Amino acid sequence: MLLIAGTIPQEGMPLVAGRVRLEGSNLKADGYSFPRIPGTGAMISAALSATDYLGVEPPFIVVAGDIGKGDGTRLIYRYLSENVSSIKPDIVTLHYCQPFMNLLAQFLKSVEKSEKPPQLIADAGAMYAAKAAGLAGKFSVFTPDPSEIAFLADPKATHPAYISQHLFRSEVEDVPNLIESAYKYNSAASVLVVKGATDYIARDGNIMATVNYPDVPTLEAIGGTGDTITGLVSAFVYAGVDPVEAGIIAAKSNRTAGKEVKPTPATKVSDIIDAFPSVFKKHLCEWSNICTAPSRGG
Amino acid sequence: MKKKTSFDGGGLVIFEDVSQAIQAEKILRASGYEVKLIAPPPKYRLGCDLGLEINLVEKAGVQRLLEEKDAPFMDILSTTEGSEELLSIVKTTEYNGYVMVKAGNMKLAFDRSTGTIVNTSGGGCPDIPYLHAEMVDKKLDEAPKPKELGFTLCALMLDRALEEALTLWNGGNN
Repeated sequence: MLLIAGTIPQEGMPLVAGRVRLEGSNLKADGYSFPRIPGTGAMISAALSATDYLGVEPPFIVVAGDIGKGDGTRLIYRYLSENVSSIKPDIVTLHYCQPFMNLLAQFLKSVEKSEKPPQLIADAGAMYAAKAAGLAGKFSVFTPDPSEIAFLADPKATHPAYISQHLFRSEVEDVPNLIESAYKYNSAASVLVVKGATDYIARDGNIMATVNYPDVPTLEAIGGTGDTITGLVSAFVYAGVDPVEAGIIAAKSNRTAGKEVKPTPATKVSDIIDAFPSVFKKHLCEWSNICTAPSRGG
Repeated sequence: MKKKTSFDGGGLVIFEDVSQAIQAEKILRASGYEVKLIAPPPKYRLGCDLGLEINLVEKAGVQRLLEEKDAPFMDILSTTEGSEELLSIVKTTEYNGYVMVKAGNMKLAFDRSTGTIVNTSGGGCPDIPYLHAEMVDKKLDEAPKPKELGFTLCALMLDRALEEALTLWNGGNN
């Protein structure tokens, strides 16, 4: 099972746990519908697009409403801590959450007690908490953007808004050094997929690959285009692809889908997500060993 | 006794006197914030010797609530060593007909001809998708202020991006 957890920006939305599906232009699980806007919605939607294409089970999602007060975040962590042992997910991807370090640490304790601990992937607030709490090493994959890799590289920062100015300035031209520092300070997951003008995929301190084609600079202005990478990585890892290769496929897919929609800064991330199936069909075999025709429910 | 499970601290509200600190504690607790009355470290003793520790990430929401309730305080500080100031670097990027303003880790793009916000991106706290939904497709000068609607440090950075975008927009129309 691929379990994806994160908050939805709907005040008062209760905890929802169940298989997700696309219904019209929205996502739906356990009777609740929510849009594919930047954040957890875009991430889940990208993952669903890939699991659907690959013919594997759709993600099981654990989401709750939170507009920044932390209420939904608390519900999600409580659910995960109490149920991870019985649900037995293969992968858990944590996304937009209030970065509460204590709650993340409690969840990780539950994970360690599990008979078969899942692989852990994190981005956004969950990644901030993991780094700030010194728990990054428990994760298989982080998917930071350039300012977030500067945050991971700053041993004193507890939030990306407090990065040392010199590290923030260096984010554009010096991502390799920031990656090196993140590993040096034990602030990195085993694999880093750093999203930016050039995407860097690193494992255990070594840069394994870079992706910079097609070059679609407009994607930086479009909210959710980093979230989609996290979702794609999660789905491909769940389908059995090595995390480094999953990072490469995700980076290429995101760029190519972005190019296909001829984006402007006003483009919605859902338009890019809708282009993923045709991108997979045209390019996945060329980019990987995934060449057989997908079979639903396989 | 209820166990506190999501208190990380890292933020410190400082006051002029003890009664202000106690008043603020009551207000914040009543709204569900987890806080701790503490003796501030010597370097933060700008006022009385009683401070209120908060989750730093909740700074924006805490500040707004205290202001709404007319609860006086002197400042809200980060107690994390070496990282006491919010990022102040702002960059702008021009796209064909659009401008993207980046403040720290947050980005806001607007249509240069209409002043309409067309996208926000970056950040990782739960109020950022909420602010995206509330701000996109609104004019720069009609959109809600992230500082007033958001709750987190990411919202403060998005507020800076909006302020810079407004400056550019107003300058472009002068």
